Amino acid sequence: MRGQSFKKGPNKPTRKKKRRDNVREQNQCRFCRSKTKYIDYKDTEILGKLLTHRGKIFSRKRSGNCAGCQRKVKLAIKRARFMGLLPFTS
Amino acid sequence: METVTKRLYEGLFLVDSGEAAADWQGINDHVKKVLERNEVEIVKMCKWDERPLAYPILGRKRGTYILVYFNAPCGKLGAIERDAQLSERILRILILRGDHITPENMEKDTPATIVEKKQVASASAVKAAEEAKAAAAAEAKTKAEAKDEKVSNIDEKDEATAENKDDGTSDVDEKQD
Repeated sequence: MRGQSFKKGPNKPTRKKKRRDNVREQNQCRFCRSKTKYIDYKDTEILGKLLTHRGKIFSRKRSGNCAGCQRKVKLAIKRARFMGLLPFTS
Repeated sequence: METVTKRLYEGLFLVDSGEAAADWQGINDHVKKVLERNEVEIVKMCKWDERPLAYPILGRKRGTYILVYFNAPCGKLGAIERDAQLSERILRILILRGDHITPENMEKDTPATIVEKKQVASASAVKAAEEAKAAAAAEAKTKAEAKDEKVSNIDEKDEATAENKDDGTSDVDEKQD
């Protein structure tokens, strides 16, 4: 119907977007923040967090790594896979 | 005259865990032999960890890792890797340059040592708990004995008072008569 107004009633609660003033976005990757120069391939706890449950490496967008650290992570994961510390696939 | 420069390297050897558990000294000596055959000077050698493999390697599902820090001439690395690949006791080997490695890093706890320390700590905790339990039991026993003694003393006193009372009533009865 033309001309019909779809104004919300006074009793209807309106959804407000939660303001996240306290949450600050990280502008550095996790390795840059901790100032790690070398990512050890034997550290499977850290590397395991950067893998999917199928054993694939997370993208930079997903992991939040910078380009340099992503390259270091890639190398470390591939070394760990060769030594049987991490899976190629699962 | 050629000068041979030696660099620090970090090598990780993967061996069968069953064989390592059965003959740890033999496996250690074998890895040492492979390295020393190629003019290597071993700085540190230790068991890194014993864990299930992420995928089966040569039919093995568990493996023991041996971590070795060594100084070696750079031209000998190929020979070391070839020797390790020819060996039937070594499943995999990875050698990396260790320029970033400091003596502190070398002395860091490996997962195997952490597990050992935990086991020792838990064993000592269990021992301490047992000792505490035994001490508590002994204390409770002594307390119970003391209580029993008190109760027996009270009983004796009660008996004595009852006897006295009996005597008193009999006198009264006699008087009434």
